[in-house]
Amino acid sequence: MHGRERTTIALSTEAVRANLLRLETEWEMVQESRDRDAIYGYLTTVFELVVCWAKEGKAVKRACRALYLRRHHSEREPKPFAAVILCTADRGKLDDRMRSKWSRVLRYAAEYKGLDEPLRDFIKRRGGINKCASRFARRLGRGRPDRAAQRQA
Amino acid sequence: MPIPMDKILQEIADQAYYASSLRRNGVQPTRDVFLAEVLGELEASGDAMRFVDAKGRIAWMATPRLRDYLQDLELEAEEDLEDEF
Repeated sequence: MHGRERTTIALSTEAVRANLLRLETEWEMVQESRDRDAIYGYLTTVFELVVCWAKEGKAVKRACRALYLRRHHSEREPKPFAAVILCTADRGKLDDRMRSKWSRVLRYAAEYKGLDEPLRDFIKRRGGINKCASRFARRLGRGRPDRAAQRQA
Repeated sequence: MPIPMDKILQEIADQAYYASSLRRNGVQPTRDVFLAEVLGELEASGDAMRFVDAKGRIAWMATPRLRDYLQDLELEAEEDLEDEF
């Protein structure tokens, strides 16, 4: 760091709420859209939010706050991507398996995607959502060193 | 170190800083501290969001909601101007 340190800006509870609301709006737009690729818009906003929290070293803590604000209770330490999806996507329209799959895709992208490549392009380049989810399982899944989770924490 | 932000937020923050400097008589917080306060408030109201930029830094940008709102204002202003002439 050269000279002065960057000013850190605390994330207020209202700011967490505003972020969740923004993602809910994005989710609603996906539901209303007929475009097959609309889901990438929602996944991108989830991805950007959690990557930013992770960059500040507070992904798990903030995911817990988000869950608390949306009255979800988690016994285990939450996975930030899955938690944010749970808080912002309609549970009636998104089952646990799909949420888990998207979470794996985003964790895979958090590990391997370049900063300047759009998420949609990255996922498509790597074979699509299903392919990325299985790539995650192969490279970073259970039994593998979870570098993505370490970075998110 | 300056807080990276987009043009819209930069403009809002500059205006707020200028307005505050006119009002205050006593100790003025440093520009960065003041901007941090403004950004925190904008984030809480859903008008600003943080993101990781291409250089890997935490940066700030206007939310789609604020962008849409400003665009609507601009269109309305243009329509008003057309009505006048």
